[in-house]
Amino acid sequence: MNAHEEDRMKQLLKQALPPPGDTEPERDLWPAMLRRLDARPAPVPWFDWALAGGLAVFAVVFPASIPVFLYYL
Amino acid sequence: MKPHPYLRAYLAGIFVPTLVLPLILAGFIVVRLVLATPFPIERFLVFPFALVPTLFGLWNMLYLASHGRLHQSIGLHGAVLPILGAPIGAFVASCLGLLDFGAHRVIYFQYVRVPYAVLPLLVLAAMAGYYLVWKYVVGFLNRTLGIA
Repeated sequence: MNAHEEDRMKQLLKQALPPPGDTEPERDLWPAMLRRLDARPAPVPWFDWALAGGLAVFAVVFPASIPVFLYYL
Repeated sequence: MKPHPYLRAYLAGIFVPTLVLPLILAGFIVVRLVLATPFPIERFLVFPFALVPTLFGLWNMLYLASHGRLHQSIGLHGAVLPILGAPIGAFVASCLGLLDFGAHRVIYFQYVRVPYAVLPLLVLAAMAGYYLVWKYVVGFLNRTLGIA
């Protein structure tokens, strides 16, 4: 391929592939990213604490249930 | 979308039983060898080792398959598993001679006596435990592996 053909090929490629548009985001993404990084994980709901406490009480009141739980995991 | 989502769902599902079962095994070996308690460990281990991890993995695959349509929470999805697993476990235990049905109570492992009145509480407690495990452990693993 000589220089003339090479230039012609470049020209054809430029015509076939449209130039990329504006690659900048429409708004600044950093504030949202910083808010997300600073966000604390959601606290454990009281219902889940109550369930965990109820399980502990059940195991104390019915200790015979522990090996059965372990069997079923 | 990452590849092989169902494989990752299965692996996330079997994580908890795979992690906990060796500890249970160690505990029962101590009970049997050190305390010389006549406990049928070999038969006891069949269900938790052979079936429970598979149940967890398949249940998590089912969660992945159905979540797009049902939008159910993973905790509630896990809480339903004891309803499926308890009869299977009881059937296996009965076949292996680990479960006897008395007049007023069910006898597990020829050793643990559970009155029939307590059985519904046992199932509810199991559902509560599964709810917490699935919500916080399996849910975390699903998010970490990119399938939730």
